[in-house]
Amino acid sequence: MKVRFSVNGETLEVEARADEMLLDVLRRELDLTSVRYTCGAGVCGACTALVDGEPISTCIMLAPLAEGKEVTTVEGLGGDHPVQRAFAEAEAFQCGYCTPGMILTAKRLLEEDPEPTQEKIRTYMGGNLCRCGCYVKIEDAVNLAANKGGA
Amino acid sequence: MIAPEWHEPRSLEEALSLRAEHGEEATVVAGGSFLGIVMNQKLFVPTMLVALRSVPDLDYIELDDGMLRLGAMTTHRAVERSPVVAESWPSLAFTFSVVASPRVRNQATVGGVVADADYASDPPSMLAALEARVVARSVRGEREIPMEEFVLDHYETALAVDELVTELRIPRRKGSSVYRKFRSRSSEDRPCVSVAAAREDGGLRVVVGAVAGRPQYFPDICDLARGERLTGEVTTDIGRRYAERIEPLSDSRGSARYRRRVTAVEVRRALEDLDRA
Amino acid sequence: MPDPRVTGAVRYSQDVAMDRMLHARLLRSPVAHARVVRLDASAVPEGVVVLLPEDLRDLGGYGPQIKDQEVLPRERVRYAGDVVAAVAAETPEEADEAVGLIDADYEELPAVFDEVRAASDGAVLVHETINISKNDAAYFGIRPQAATNICHLFRLRHGDVEAGFREADVVVEETYHTAGAQHAPMEPHAALARWEEERLEVITGTQTPFNMRSDLAGLFGIDEESVRVISPPMGGSFGAKTFVRTEAIAACLSRKAKRPVKVVLERDELWMTLNRHPATVRVKLGARSDGTLVASETECWANTGAYADCGPGVAQKMGFAAPGPYRLANVRVDSRAVYTNLPPSGAFRGYGQMQSTWARERTMDLLANRLQMDPLELRMKNLLRDGDKYCTGETMHDVHFERLLRDAADAVAWSEGRNDKGLCVMLKGMQTPSRAAIAVEAGDGGTYTVRCATTEMGQGAKMAMRIMAAELLEVDVEKISCPDPDTDIVPYDTRTTSSRSTHMMGRALEVAVADLEENGERGYGEVVDEGGLDPDTGQGVASSHWHQGAAAAEVEVDEETGKFRVVKLHAPIYAGRVINRPAAELQNEGSMIMGLGTALFESNEFADGQITNANLSDYNLPAMDDMPATLSHELLEREDGEVQGLGETALPPIPPAIGNALYSRGIHVTDLPISPERVLDAVDARDESRAKVTSGPASTGVMSDQRPSAGVRPLLTSPSVGLLLGILGAGLLAIALYKLLHRRVEAGEKASYGPGAPRR
Repeated sequence: MKVRFSVNGETLEVEARADEMLLDVLRRELDLTSVRYTCGAGVCGACTALVDGEPISTCIMLAPLAEGKEVTTVEGLGGDHPVQRAFAEAEAFQCGYCTPGMILTAKRLLEEDPEPTQEKIRTYMGGNLCRCGCYVKIEDAVNLAANKGGA
Repeated sequence: MIAPEWHEPRSLEEALSLRAEHGEEATVVAGGSFLGIVMNQKLFVPTMLVALRSVPDLDYIELDDGMLRLGAMTTHRAVERSPVVAESWPSLAFTFSVVASPRVRNQATVGGVVADADYASDPPSMLAALEARVVARSVRGEREIPMEEFVLDHYETALAVDELVTELRIPRRKGSSVYRKFRSRSSEDRPCVSVAAAREDGGLRVVVGAVAGRPQYFPDICDLARGERLTGEVTTDIGRRYAERIEPLSDSRGSARYRRRVTAVEVRRALEDLDRA
Repeated sequence: MPDPRVTGAVRYSQDVAMDRMLHARLLRSPVAHARVVRLDASAVPEGVVVLLPEDLRDLGGYGPQIKDQEVLPRERVRYAGDVVAAVAAETPEEADEAVGLIDADYEELPAVFDEVRAASDGAVLVHETINISKNDAAYFGIRPQAATNICHLFRLRHGDVEAGFREADVVVEETYHTAGAQHAPMEPHAALARWEEERLEVITGTQTPFNMRSDLAGLFGIDEESVRVISPPMGGSFGAKTFVRTEAIAACLSRKAKRPVKVVLERDELWMTLNRHPATVRVKLGARSDGTLVASETECWANTGAYADCGPGVAQKMGFAAPGPYRLANVRVDSRAVYTNLPPSGAFRGYGQMQSTWARERTMDLLANRLQMDPLELRMKNLLRDGDKYCTGETMHDVHFERLLRDAADAVAWSEGRNDKGLCVMLKGMQTPSRAAIAVEAGDGGTYTVRCATTEMGQGAKMAMRIMAAELLEVDVEKISCPDPDTDIVPYDTRTTSSRSTHMMGRALEVAVADLEENGERGYGEVVDEGGLDPDTGQGVASSHWHQGAAAAEVEVDEETGKFRVVKLHAPIYAGRVINRPAAELQNEGSMIMGLGTALFESNEFADGQITNANLSDYNLPAMDDMPATLSHELLEREDGEVQGLGETALPPIPPAIGNALYSRGIHVTDLPISPERVLDAVDARDESRAKVTSGPASTGVMSDQRPSAGVRPLLTSPSVGLLLGILGAGLLAIALYKLLHRRVEAGEKASYGPGAPRR
């Protein structure tokens, strides 16, 4: 079936199966490899994209549900987004696999709460797992982005 | 492998007639998060998907003469962030706010979470404590099912094959209520034991979640609190009786034996919280 | 240029693609030990390539230390998850469907899962014969014990242990168990293989490109030069992506298909591929009444699962560092790598150190309690100092244990009170003997290319190489590049393991740069660290330099539920000289957080040898909100200090520091992870023993004779437990398990079970 949606500002129509997930379509049809498969259960956040501005686990979202939505992946932020700059400045990553999901989640957090407390950062970002364990510096990065008006 | 048919009805009537015609074969897609998980695990291969996203008027949070009405397609995040819910049902807003992550809460719906009937979900026990009623619609009409009677067992509900959950109705409450989520592992884990408790006009409803196939509610034990302050012996007694009465399961979050121990403590603490509230 | 990690532009192994590439799926055994009596792939549609054991008659075995693996086992499967057949198709979905069409019948055999039981006489044998590998990963004397499941027995003998215990005023003894764990790198294993004439090329996320080359060459009976291994960046590894994992299957499928074949593992398959060794460790310590240690005895059973992988090496390291950084005149260690019918265990961040450190450092606190001594004082009294001899006979240099332990104690204000606080100090060996080689090439415009086999898995190895090269060459770091390892181009090197790369490669780089300055275009450098231990006495040089670390924890305990919070965690380690501070900090913090997961909840669970929590909902990883309110660390440097590896040091001391913090309240937990349930049981045991002992100090040192010994540990093997787990348990995947077990029942008559797994 055809699914029409906007990805990083561009309206596209892609071929998808009714039983496949948005993650597969983003990777296969659009070569957006910043969304990544890890848990397949909505637990880890490596496949995070913003759908109509809100973080979503694309690994458990059926592709047809993206019809008419605005999808943003980290590719859509350019490279010089304040949250990206903050992550780079804080060196808040090791292997970098979870980083796109972290950045998108942090972006939305800062839109909701421009000055989040430590507790807020930890609970909001808690659903994005980093097996390298870069949490100390990820928290630094979110604070850094917050102080600089990151969202 | 043939892809399943994708149906996206534009009206409730259309959706209901698909349900009536195809019954169990028509897998309902609300937010689709639970479905996504079981499909990824290849536990379930749908042949026909009926998405409710284009059915109008299923996504709302309304006050109706003091009663709260949540449309089935309302997301967890919407409930969590609603000023209306926060004002009069703060424990309900809290319960939805501790489900999984913001990502899942952006996708998962209130209709979905009750219809999936997963034992480790947070909302069902709180909804039961608040005397919520599930509105089920079919081509035959509409009925209300009390939440405590809705979940029958693991992934089994009182919903008939031709019915859809369209709304949750939560009556106005004068008393206080609490939700305690006891996690035995990560802060991101699902509950090992959860306790929802609500008090109104001296009546008490305690519902224990995540310990068995369905939320555990024992009105006769709750009656022990009638006319009592929730302190001291009565709270310990109710906790102990709940722990004895439940038939807990074992999983990676805790053994049955451990769940009993925790239930006794957490029920007592929930009652103490109520007393303080 | 923004960092490719923030733009999502990094291409990991799983992102590698090739024209005409096929996608593989694997059929795995649902039973732990069985003869495969029938394998029928006739239902698989044409056009899908099927790999069966009969396709592999010309191939030998492989394995880095013991040659005990076949690409597809011909005779019998040895664990639930052993690969029995494989397919390759145009799309992953087609491959998925095809693999489900292969029928397999199994004749089940008795199986053994517990490491202590498996090591006893009369246990079911997992392997009848044991062939030691010629791979250089088998760099030490491996001592299989004939007609047992012990594939390596390491022994350390120093002084006279019996005499030592006779001399002791106090003797304590305890047995501990640590759970198996999953590395759970965010990126699953991904390998792509293709043949060009007689030449095999493999692009795979691996920490061990040259060991891979050697093992694959041996498998196919071709020259090592006929195998090319390229290792793109990995989305994490932590030991998971070492030695041959999925590469041999990809290569065999490609050989049959005559097309490139890519294998990407499903999430649950990671648990069926490699894990951390579950282990049982018994420790006995003797001391004089003034706290002087006089004897130490350790027995380790490292459960290496159905195939040895590098289990012998893990058992050896678990053993030789087990006595800890203490002056000890009398030491005995017996450490065994034991075959069982569980999935294979291998390298895991900490490499055996976590298990024996947990056991020893917990026992040190039992001893302190019996001596009524401050655990800090007891340790300080016995710590190794510069110039002391370790129990292996080697002289210790650059020793910083006192300073590290003091720093740990200060971080939790130890002198102001010890309640709810715990300490740990440890040492960890680096692979010895060891050799490293590197080349530096001069390019245009003052640029240089560093060629080495050091792989990038997030640890920042490449950046460290570039920084070190830039310093030596006195140019800007931007002028230095360090491409992905390619065995056709880079000099031979052992592997990126054991936190040795920065230490070894850094020194080799100095030689290479000097060579370049002499020769102009290309410089080559090589360093060799001599050493090694006699496996029968444990004497020699265990480690050319020692990783040294300590930790302190502070907890808050809810004694009614057993739930506790770690409120403070501090881990100082010796870093020598830090090359790249943020990366070094990340490595240390990452080790601590992984240690926290080990301490609190990471545990592989099995029923009848089948993994029951192979998903990231039922197996928890530490999340951001699991961090202690205060998590801090210290990278101790020294002027002119040698560069030290620091990728693992802070993991092993975390669990004992937390366990000892609980023990300050008399809560004695012997098994990892320290679940609230175990804490509650320990609270009960404490309260019972206090009720019995009405006088004297809080008697908290529960001796091993008061609890079931490791040998009779109840296993998750009874059908009722399996059923309970399957039908009732396991959260959001309860139905997964239900179905899994249901299939298991079918498997007896008509097995058609593929990995019940998330798709992608």
